[in-house]
Amino acid sequence: MNSVNISSCYLADIDFDDRTFPFSYGLLPAPLESSIANVGLLQPPLLVAGDRGFNIVCGRRRLEVVRKLTDGAEKISFYLVENSNLKKLFRRALWDNLALREFNLVETADIYVAALNIFAVDELEKEIMPALKLPLRPRFRQRCQAIAGFPWKLRDLLAAGSVDAETVDLIREWSTGEKAALIDLVEETGLRRNKLREVVSRLDDLARRDEVSALEFLSAARKAALSEGGGIDVELLRGHLKALLYPHLTAARREFAIRQEKFSWPANLHLDPPPDFEGGDYRLSFIFTGSKDWEKICSKLTSVDLEEIDELCQRG
Amino acid sequence: MSSVNVDKYSRSLFRPTTVLVEDEASGYPLTESILGRLPNAEVVVIKRPSSENLVRLSQQFSPHTTLLLGLHRGRFLKACPGTAESYRCCLYQILHLGLGCNIGCSYCVLQGYLNNPFITQFVNLDDAFAELDRELERPGVFYRIGTGEFTDSLFMDPLTDLAPRLLDYFGRAKNAVLELKTKSVAIAGLLDYPGEIGETIVSWSLNAPRVCKKEEGHAATIEERLTAAVLCRQRGYRIGLHFDPLLYFTGWQDEYRQTVASIFTHLKGDDIIWISIGAFRFMPQVKEVLKANHPQTNITAGEFIRGIDGKQRYFSAIRRQLYRFLVTEIRRYAPDVFIYFCMEDQYLWRDTFGFAPADNQELSHWLDKCCYRYTDKGHVS
Repeated sequence: MNSVNISSCYLADIDFDDRTFPFSYGLLPAPLESSIANVGLLQPPLLVAGDRGFNIVCGRRRLEVVRKLTDGAEKISFYLVENSNLKKLFRRALWDNLALREFNLVETADIYVAALNIFAVDELEKEIMPALKLPLRPRFRQRCQAIAGFPWKLRDLLAAGSVDAETVDLIREWSTGEKAALIDLVEETGLRRNKLREVVSRLDDLARRDEVSALEFLSAARKAALSEGGGIDVELLRGHLKALLYPHLTAARREFAIRQEKFSWPANLHLDPPPDFEGGDYRLSFIFTGSKDWEKICSKLTSVDLEEIDELCQRG
Repeated sequence: MSSVNVDKYSRSLFRPTTVLVEDEASGYPLTESILGRLPNAEVVVIKRPSSENLVRLSQQFSPHTTLLLGLHRGRFLKACPGTAESYRCCLYQILHLGLGCNIGCSYCVLQGYLNNPFITQFVNLDDAFAELDRELERPGVFYRIGTGEFTDSLFMDPLTDLAPRLLDYFGRAKNAVLELKTKSVAIAGLLDYPGEIGETIVSWSLNAPRVCKKEEGHAATIEERLTAAVLCRQRGYRIGLHFDPLLYFTGWQDEYRQTVASIFTHLKGDDIIWISIGAFRFMPQVKEVLKANHPQTNITAGEFIRGIDGKQRYFSAIRRQLYRFLVTEIRRYAPDVFIYFCMEDQYLWRDTFGFAPADNQELSHWLDKCCYRYTDKGHVS
């Protein structure tokens, strides 16, 4: 074990920019803020002497809260550990944090990338990656390395849970410009998680299909989705991308609607084609509130021309 | 038949530098003969590996250069997994002698199915043949059996020398035909085989030249495959062709037209027992695996909908275009050749051909009837 001494210092003596031990990133938890605001810092952080002051091994979030609450003027107590064995310190910080909480995507990525420079492959795969719940497959390693290199706005969105891991996999290879345009879109529209993943997935598919930049489709979709007030209508944007990616299906739906119009059916009678026109089963449903409705619908149905039905059921 | 000395026909596409041998697989003739053909390979005897151990072993030994020799303990003869009843399947039987292949096609469905990362050869062939003996005794049943579902039938045949063993068996089996499906040209074992080949079918998977070049790893070129088909036909084998998966991309018509024209500069319609067609389809989870394994490919970035069987497939209007075009092209050269769809629905059958099998049994029956050996009683009289 490293020797540990209790010491004290001003917050200004701590190098908050040092991320040798990158165990926290993102918003500070409100309960922690309340606790420190009410009773102060109870558990001293673990610091180590660094080149530009003390480096934080454990307790960054606690120290960030204290800094936020006191404008950085506070003197705090801390455990000073010897800077003799980086690997041991890193492991201590890892397991200490894991005992208290789960890491978000950015923290996991930062820890993994930092650990790459500290641990041997075998140690990484047998201890660090399982601790971080990272499968050994390349996809997860690539995801971490991508997140570590993302612009901070994107990292903030990830840490806040507004962007999910699958979306990261999709935009991993995107250019800086493409990522910046996506961040702008998220900021303007408030697109989050599932809908954002859907939009990104469609942009990615379109870009790969036509072997062009996702920016082209994103710009076109933004234009198509401009609302009267000048903002972007998310539903229009999603619809536009869907129509671009599914041109045949969109046309088939439109044609079906046109053919269906010929029937001039009452509003309480519905005909649904099979999902995506795959398979052959059409579903007819109607709503009625009494015998008059019933008779009206039956009469309408018996008067339908069978050739029209066959035409209606033609697949696009 | 004189021996074919062309190097490429006797070259295994897979040359492992390491062979993992399950301890119980030691001593089998197939194990010994494979090891005899790999004198410089590192041989590591292992206990029968669990799925977890296989993953661990794959970190120690590269699956790209390692062959696993093991015993198959389950049934060797299995119904082709096919797909849900809503799509027509041909009730093919698979003889399960090995797993995996190193050709590296981007669209390979095995990427999503197999939990064994190693190319695996089962060596207990006698158990397989004993099971076949029992199965093929059933009266009135005709079997179309293939080995190319979970692996390529011939890609490492010069290493395993399996084809002659299979010919020994199927050459005399009266109520079964064997189909060997491949994208390789490792046919020396077939050409040099001195005995009765029965009604063995050698089949090639074909595609557009661009697909072959971009998506089919180190498979033989279309020209090479068709040249090999001609040699096999000359030796008396029947030839099957499989356009599966058809891909939809800019310029697909010209590309597929080129392949069809190429077929019929090499073969006559009568040389071909059947041609199957299937548009690209994949389980949704395969998309990520495929993108990870083949980052340059864009084949999953099309207009895919979720089929009734849960697989992603092209929207039917696209499948219809592909099928109508290809069938018309083939019919220009070979009006009578039997063409069928693999895993397609009745609507598209009718739309393309004007008729559709009522059920899987009927489709199976149509294929059986393509075989000389088949009679309505199920076997040669």
